[in-house]
Amino acid sequence: MRLPINLLFLTLSILPSTLAVFVDEAYIVDYHHELLGLSQPHTSFFHRPRKNEKASLLYTLSDLGVLGAVNPGLGKVVWRQLLAGDDAVSEPGFLRPIEGEDAVVSAIGSRVDAWDAMSGRATWGNVFEGVVKDLEVMETAAGSEGAKAVLALFDEGKPVLRKLKGGSGDVAWEYAGVSGDIALQVSTNVQNVFLVSTYYGSKAGFTLRVTILDPVTGKKSSEYTLSTKGEIESLEDVVFVGANSAAPIIAWADQGYKNLRVNVLGKSGAIQSLPLTESDGKLTEVTVHAPHLVQSQAHFLVHSRSALSNRADVYHVDLANGSVKKAYELPKVPGRGSISISSQDANVYFTRLSDDEVAVYSSVSHGVLGRWPLNFEAQRGSFVHSTTEVVQKGTDTYAVRSAVVTTEQDWVLIRNGAEAWARPEGLSGAVAAAFADLPESESLVKNLEVEAESNALSAYIHRVNRHVADLQYLPNYLQDLPRRFLSSILPGEIIAQKAGVLVPDSFGFNKVVIVATQRGRLYGLDAGNHGSIVWSWTAFPQENGKKWDVKGIFVESSKGLATIRAADGEYTVVKTTTGERIETMPPGSGPTIRSTAIVDSPSGKWMLTIGVNGNPEDVPSERVPKGHLVVKGDAGEVKGLKFMPRGSQSSPVITWTFTPPTDQVITNVVSRPAHDPVASIGRVLGDRTVLYKYLNPNVVLVTAISNEKSTATFYLLDTISGDILYSATHEGVDTKQPIASALTENWFSYSLWADIISTSATLPSSKGYQIIVSEMYESDVANDRGPLESTANSSSLEPSDIPNAELALPHVITASFLVPEAISHMSVSATRQGITTRQLLCTLESSGAIIGIPRTILDPRRPVGRDPTPAEQEEGIFRYHPVIEFDPKMLITHKREVIGIKDIIASPAVLESTSLIFAYGIDIFGTRVAPSAAFDILGKGFNKLSLVGTVAALWAGVVILAPMVRRKQINGRWMTS
Amino acid sequence: MSPPPPPSQWVEELNSPPVSRSKLTIPDPPGYTAASSGNKKQIASSKTQTPARTAPTTEEMDTLKLKKAWEVALAPVKQLPMTAIMMYMSGNSLQMFSIMMVVMAFKNPLMGLMATNQAFEKFNSPGTSASLLAVKATYVAMQILALALGVWKVNGMGLLPTTQSDWLAWETARDPMEIAIPAF
Repeated sequence: MRLPINLLFLTLSILPSTLAVFVDEAYIVDYHHELLGLSQPHTSFFHRPRKNEKASLLYTLSDLGVLGAVNPGLGKVVWRQLLAGDDAVSEPGFLRPIEGEDAVVSAIGSRVDAWDAMSGRATWGNVFEGVVKDLEVMETAAGSEGAKAVLALFDEGKPVLRKLKGGSGDVAWEYAGVSGDIALQVSTNVQNVFLVSTYYGSKAGFTLRVTILDPVTGKKSSEYTLSTKGEIESLEDVVFVGANSAAPIIAWADQGYKNLRVNVLGKSGAIQSLPLTESDGKLTEVTVHAPHLVQSQAHFLVHSRSALSNRADVYHVDLANGSVKKAYELPKVPGRGSISISSQDANVYFTRLSDDEVAVYSSVSHGVLGRWPLNFEAQRGSFVHSTTEVVQKGTDTYAVRSAVVTTEQDWVLIRNGAEAWARPEGLSGAVAAAFADLPESESLVKNLEVEAESNALSAYIHRVNRHVADLQYLPNYLQDLPRRFLSSILPGEIIAQKAGVLVPDSFGFNKVVIVATQRGRLYGLDAGNHGSIVWSWTAFPQENGKKWDVKGIFVESSKGLATIRAADGEYTVVKTTTGERIETMPPGSGPTIRSTAIVDSPSGKWMLTIGVNGNPEDVPSERVPKGHLVVKGDAGEVKGLKFMPRGSQSSPVITWTFTPPTDQVITNVVSRPAHDPVASIGRVLGDRTVLYKYLNPNVVLVTAISNEKSTATFYLLDTISGDILYSATHEGVDTKQPIASALTENWFSYSLWADIISTSATLPSSKGYQIIVSEMYESDVANDRGPLESTANSSSLEPSDIPNAELALPHVITASFLVPEAISHMSVSATRQGITTRQLLCTLESSGAIIGIPRTILDPRRPVGRDPTPAEQEEGIFRYHPVIEFDPKMLITHKREVIGIKDIIASPAVLESTSLIFAYGIDIFGTRVAPSAAFDILGKGFNKLSLVGTVAALWAGVVILAPMVRRKQINGRWMTS
Repeated sequence: MSPPPPPSQWVEELNSPPVSRSKLTIPDPPGYTAASSGNKKQIASSKTQTPARTAPTTEEMDTLKLKKAWEVALAPVKQLPMTAIMMYMSGNSLQMFSIMMVVMAFKNPLMGLMATNQAFEKFNSPGTSASLLAVKATYVAMQILALALGVWKVNGMGLLPTTQSDWLAWETARDPMEIAIPAF
């Protein structure tokens, strides 16, 4: 009887050919929303990145100061540059294409840069004083050689216009305007450069001054003023000042939008009034669209919107005498609508997006060149503004694609009326986020309770009924069975999760992340399904430039509710899974708040608000928080508060105040995370002795910097008594560089830039970014629990029975390491029980990454200047090395570039090994980390298929062999006898 | 009728055998032993003539038993150096060989201790029972010594909860009496 060799081969062939390859989970467990921010109407355009390239890219400089190029076909970001620094710009930026060249020019803040349009690499950049007010590419007369020059207008107390040479960005000439004028705009046609500025006269309101300059020399050739007769009350009232075109114009509307005043630049004193026709009530918004190309015809469109409908008028400018006459009008259509302009050589097209169709008009006549029915999801809201590219395909056929910003803050590309892609740009600029557990299904629990309480018979009937009722789910269950089976066997996530279904999973990976953005929107993201948007809505729309200042998100997982509170006293309560708003109070309905805290009180947990002066309000006695409070005061000091009963109310009383020395300013205070469990209270050394951890939950780490002395001091405070437990001062610190800190368990870390000059007494000199890690122990002696010994309780107010005894101070072991780049934010991973070691998560702003540094590297007990003893080796510590290289393997973002990360939050999964990470800011990034490796879950490398195959092969072998063996045995008995 | 012929010589020789050698003074030649021709009676008499091994007395038996008992009692300690060397050689890591060593190091002494009375049962007699107590005590001591070697080994392997770290899991963090909630 032979072994079935074939069977063996079959079994072996199921096994994977290579078992040694470590299957990475990169790009499977993590997700990234690569965002730009909301595109602005005057800084978005289609442009060909190369002169002879057919396909164009969609460029934008967003409200967040992100310059990006998007592939209009796919909606994927081709390249991005974050232009705004830390102090997120409130000033708008400017972006212009250089027609006929492979570059785009941006200006934001005080800098002007040129970028390669295809790759996004910088070609030149220049920084000036003042703030950029306008940017224009200077059209040169046909046939002239060399790169096109750039005109940049700055506000330096007076308007300063600079002509920057193309190719290098050097200043060719500079013109300073009248001191006190406010720079508005620069425009140019081929012959002249027009500088529009304004000055405020108390009687006449704003007066516009137009200065005409010679483009070659920058000398003033003439100047005239336009009196607005008080029609302009603020600079926002200037509706439009035209850019590069054959006939640049300036326009403003009078009060009440009755007339539009237009001046063709260069025609002194000729203000023409164009009547604005009301449509369905008062006009609310008037915009002017004019071409940006010199060779385009001098036509422009006035788009008037009212609350209900919108209409438009097209005007032609007579270049000879500068007169403006109406050519035709676009009829009124309901809805907001959006009109955008695009020009191709001399042709100017107007594309009108209304609620149900897309229509393209030529500027010459009112004939419709193309019309497409609009297929647009209503949930995206109505149009805010659009950017359009019109391509003439044949003599009469046109193709049109428009990038539209909607009121729901999506950026949608509509190609010939159909939606091609949508980018959730409203998600950018997140200011607060919180994890929310999915509420467990409670119906089963309720049913079981009912059955437990009733008598046996009725419970039995109830159960039978329940099971019969459950039968309705059977078809679904059976349908789902193959998918579940396959998804558990097949490697990878080949079988996609059902989108849009929020089901709590047994591993606890499925959670909702509630994100609040600076534009006042709320988003619910499904962390278990690649961060897909589950719900979103605008909670509190913000006016231009203002940022929604969210102070706290309080998630009640048991109820499935989240409360979002912001600075102006507004708050909203939403359902975490659906986004359904339960309650909303507008700004001003409550007192202005500085911060919030989630406190426990006799009547349950609630969100306490701290007023601007650092004091909470009086609270009724049944809602008095258990315990003390630590708040930041007005002058930046740190205060300890306690609620004292006063009648039926309780009012806060200051128990201590911590003020640093006069030259120091408190910049940051961090506390231990709310969920910070500690599995082991000691650290076992190599010789089996124990160093006991200093585990005081009431500690905060205060960062105070001194600009004069260039020092950074870190104070560890006991928040009950206000005592300083530990402090460390670092000298030679660049206080302008980011200083980040984190505090957890029994250790804290911070990073800074320091230039330590060597002296004989101190360390050798070093210069660069440092990360300093300190561990706190109860005693420096092993097996010793310090002065408190084994007492079960500890009190910071009365540490021992001896009166006026001093607080037990921690024994602190510190090590510092040099790191290659600045760490802008620090956070710590969180797991369910704290058995897994914590990972320090650092945001690296300059390389656009988040790194997870393992604790073993950051161990301050690493032996310095010698190899570890065998006992130390057993403990797992290795020789100290002063430099930590940021190994790319430690980057949890892998090759993804995440920009503008403000904060990283961590939440435990049900699996002890895993921590959910969510980073937000301009970009959204989320992942799962397992700092001690995924020890409680089968990895992707575990081949379930081969396991099942082996079992099946064995079973088949037994089934085949059993009859053969039986027959052989029977034959053997019969034949020998 | 003629008279019968005289009996032949062989008959005469048969009827009158030669005089027994013992009756002769002629000594046997060297190397000759009479056994070949010896009669059974002689042999039998020689056997009964050597009753040198008389049955030992009870005192003698007791002494003998005690000696044997001592041997049994000291047997475990004789293995000890060998066991110690093997344990030392096998190292302190947890592996098949050292685990088996440890199991044997515990099993043998424990079994021996449990079978103390059986081991000395055959040496027990009214005369020895008193002095056997000391022997048993020695035997127990030796087994405990062997057990101690096992314990030493287990300790060397770090399996004894003798250090503070072994009890760390039962120690709890101090309960803070006050709680401060950070609100920044």
